[in-house]
Amino acid sequence: MIKITNLEKFYRTEEVETIALNKLSMEVNTGEFVAIMGPSGCGKSTLLNILGMLDDPDAGSYVFNGTEIAHFNERKRADLRKHNIGFVFQSFNLIDELTVFENVELPLIYTGVSSADRVKRVEEVLDKMQIMHRRNHYPQQLSGGQQQRVAIARAVVNKPKLILADEPTGNLDSSNGNEVMELLTDLNEQGTTIIMVTHSEHDARYSHRIIRLLDGQTVMENIMV
Amino acid sequence: MFKNYLKVTWRNLLKNKGFTAINIAGLAVGMASAALILFWVQNEVSYDQFHEKKDRLYQMYNRSVFDGKLWCWGTTPKVMRSSLKQDYPQVEQVARTTNANFLFTIGDKHLTLAGNHTDPDFLTMFSFPLVKGNAKTALNDMKNIVLTEKTAKKLFGDQDPMGKTIKIDSTDYFTVTAVMKDLPNNTRFDFEYLMPWSYLEKTDNYVDKNWGNNSVQTWALLKPGVTEAAVNRQVKNITRSHSDIKDIDVFMHPATKWHLYSKFENGKIVGGKIEAVRLFSIIAGFILLIACINFMNLSTARSEKRAKEVGIRKVVGASKTSLISQFLGESIMISLIAGVLALVIVQVSLPGFNNLTDKKLFIPWESTTFWLLCLSFIIFTGVLSGSYPALYLSAFRPVKVLKGTFKAANAAISPRKVLVVTQFTFAIVLIISTIIVREQLEYAQNRDTGYKKNNLVYTFMSGNIGKNYALIRNELLTSGAATAVSKTSAPMTEGWSDTWGFSWEGKNENEKLDFNVYNTDGSFTKTMGLKVIEGRDIDADKYPSDSLAILLNEASVKVMGFKQPIGQIVKNGDTKLTVVGVVKDFILQSPYEPVRPMVIQGPKSWFNVIHYKLNEKNTTAANLKLAEAVFKKFNSEYPFDYHFVDDEYAKKFKDEQRTGTLASLFAGLTIFISCLGLFGLATYMAQNRIKEIGVRKVLGASVMGVTSMLSKDFLKLVGFAFLIATPLAWYFMHSWLQGYTYRVPISIWVFVSAALVTTIISIVTVSFQAVKAALTNPVKSLRSE
Ligand SMILES: Nc1ncnc2c1ncn2[C@@H]1O[C@H](COP(=O)(O)OP(=O)(O)OP(=O)(O)O)[C@@H](O)[C@H]1O
Ligand SMILES: [Mg+2]
Repeated sequence: MIKITNLEKFYRTEEVETIALNKLSMEVNTGEFVAIMGPSGCGKSTLLNILGMLDDPDAGSYVFNGTEIAHFNERKRADLRKHNIGFVFQSFNLIDELTVFENVELPLIYTGVSSADRVKRVEEVLDKMQIMHRRNHYPQQLSGGQQQRVAIARAVVNKPKLILADEPTGNLDSSNGNEVMELLTDLNEQGTTIIMVTHSEHDARYSHRIIRLLDGQTVMENIMV
Repeated sequence: MFKNYLKVTWRNLLKNKGFTAINIAGLAVGMASAALILFWVQNEVSYDQFHEKKDRLYQMYNRSVFDGKLWCWGTTPKVMRSSLKQDYPQVEQVARTTNANFLFTIGDKHLTLAGNHTDPDFLTMFSFPLVKGNAKTALNDMKNIVLTEKTAKKLFGDQDPMGKTIKIDSTDYFTVTAVMKDLPNNTRFDFEYLMPWSYLEKTDNYVDKNWGNNSVQTWALLKPGVTEAAVNRQVKNITRSHSDIKDIDVFMHPATKWHLYSKFENGKIVGGKIEAVRLFSIIAGFILLIACINFMNLSTARSEKRAKEVGIRKVVGASKTSLISQFLGESIMISLIAGVLALVIVQVSLPGFNNLTDKKLFIPWESTTFWLLCLSFIIFTGVLSGSYPALYLSAFRPVKVLKGTFKAANAAISPRKVLVVTQFTFAIVLIISTIIVREQLEYAQNRDTGYKKNNLVYTFMSGNIGKNYALIRNELLTSGAATAVSKTSAPMTEGWSDTWGFSWEGKNENEKLDFNVYNTDGSFTKTMGLKVIEGRDIDADKYPSDSLAILLNEASVKVMGFKQPIGQIVKNGDTKLTVVGVVKDFILQSPYEPVRPMVIQGPKSWFNVIHYKLNEKNTTAANLKLAEAVFKKFNSEYPFDYHFVDDEYAKKFKDEQRTGTLASLFAGLTIFISCLGLFGLATYMAQNRIKEIGVRKVLGASVMGVTSMLSKDFLKLVGFAFLIATPLAWYFMHSWLQGYTYRVPISIWVFVSAALVTTIISIVTVSFQAVKAALTNPVKSLRSE
């Protein structure tokens, strides 16, 4: 599904140039659940953002489902993204002015799903995430775990082929965190590819494979059994 | 999708009530001001443009050299009409107009009404539709009269006026032959009725065939297809070929230029009302822009709060275009709310604005065009104010935003600074202008008039006043109402007559020197409280030869070059006039111009007005009561009409007063809207820096220190705006003052006080928020970490 080769990303400020990704190559197959680990600042989020087409690499190749997209412009990437990728963030990133239902509905609106279909599909995922009873609440009225479940609901409502999660349990206590991990595992079992960044060895154990990064390079891959 | 935007917009508006209120209030005030001005502009631009034949309608004008300059004026000889009709086949119709003022009597109802004498062609040349009657024939008979609907109502109430008889003065009976729709609010014509020209000739008792007497307006309608240039070439010599006046060119001024382009300089059109129209349009545009700038500034200042939303929307699939349309939709929605509010403001303030501008503007609620224009205006405002924020916000990169390190404030600071400087530059220019206009006004008002205006009253000599003048004068004095009475040719505040026909010994005969002409039967200096510099007042009782005596003012003595003015002979045509006295210069016409040379002629001349100085020993009310009794006694059919000279004199400042009031209004509005924006910006700045302030306070910063740190940035912008505004304002006001010969010098203090006013207002605006932020307990602001 994903194949990156010699991917590079630099950040330039006035004085220093940081190499966030240094000729990084890796591959993720359809249906895999991959965890990315590494010390703070090693480039995990940068990688995830590039994989999610929120950012573009400075060099290297990125083939997504057989298409080279490293050179795509913003509009094309946005188009590809909204049909294929769902995001889950550490800080949930829900829109405060929208209710649970409306937050989850948002991706469907942008992909042009009809209003009746939207209601059906949103209710379906909310049900699955066991958050249906909170459908008319605003994000501030929910606990962290509930917010993250809403965020996951929003990530999957469009039935994306790939879910990118950046420390999805980072802001949660262990029981809420485990619940989230169970949800991700379920999704993966139903066929969604998942790439997750995490600092927790415990969470990483839910994945099939762990990719360890150091200074923007892969240093080790563990296959889970 | 649209519903979703609407929802977010609505919740955003409600959630940030302060921001919303500032935004909507600012926009509404800006839109209302712009709309009022645009109403005014629309009215000015449409003046007399509703005449169906406007492209063929012209006013006849004269052009000649006086005092070395080419002058143009729009009054013509009365005989010009017949010549135009007979000898110029390109001219289809011609009508003259001149003022009529008669006492109307119906039963025991007496009313003095102002109308026009005109020729029958008038009704078919111009598009003043008749409600009743036939435009082709309504003025054919000498004793026909056309009333406007309002006049008809005044005279006959709800009765049908057609065919009714009206007694005019005490002499003639007129028949109503037509009723005209009331004049619109955008025409130069102003009459309550129309009367045939032939009646003027009857009351004048002769047909004026003098080509040198330019006293009426002549309007011409050209045949279709005839060009202005072609006819101008031919009418140029019309006066020359009919008289021995050899130095007057005649030309035609087209209806499309009557109102906006009527200022001539050296024989050429140099503008006119169009300048005010342009200036006002620019001001309207700027006020609207300033209101929009508020919106832009506040929206971008709040961008940190919106950034997250933008980032998330992009992550879940929003394209840049859809975000742009979302934000534009938001600003259009705010603009819509503001627009509705603005409409209310306009409706409420229209009477005051009308009063101020001397207009009769109204909101055309029933017109679809109006509503369409409203809608486009609202959308325009929404797009104008929303486009920059929309582009700015939609360009956020989700990676940066969602990482939480996002600092939008700094990224946007430069354009926002530019916008604040723009706002304040405009506000300061207006403040400086206001101060200078007011100073000029005061300067002119304080100018010595040269005579004593207080307790001086005049009455027009209507009906039998002229006949009974000697008796009236006597009784005014003996009854104790007045201490001095003088019969004059015109009110003391108006120059009604002037001539270049005087000659004297030593005059350069090649030079045309124009003099104001004023007539008095005597007691002139006593009644007016004038200072006699040399010689004496005219007094025909004491000196019978004084019927041909004249007084000169100082300006006349100077241009005539008399070393010893008393006893000099001044000839007016063949009449020899003797100078018996010289009076100190006094202001007859413009208080902004030097006093013009003036010749005051004795009893053997013409008179229109009686001036009388009220008795200072009595109250004004008692004096007026006595005077009324006297006038009623000798002129019983006419209502007693009187005018105080000081009131009339004050009217000379009306234009400047209006300019002053408008300038302060605009200045007030812009500074208000600008400060509203500044206040909003300061609020957000204080909120954004609340943590920084907390840390600083923990480290020992004082409230004063924090306040000044926060205010300094904004004051710097205001100071910068001042630097740009000063030369601009100086330039504008310098050119404005060039229009006045008697003008106030622009002093440095004007700028200093403008700077002070602006600084104080902005300090108050900004420091309110700064102090509030500085006073916040740091424990509170740091806890949220
Ligand atoms: N916008 C930026 N400007 C400059 N440097 C950046 C920027 N974003 C990231 N970096 C740098 O790039 C490197 C990789 O950052 P990245 O956020 O990918 O780290 P990370 O592995 O996600 O760290 P963490 O585990 O703390 O989230 C870091 O050294 C970081 O300082
Ligand atoms: Mg990270």
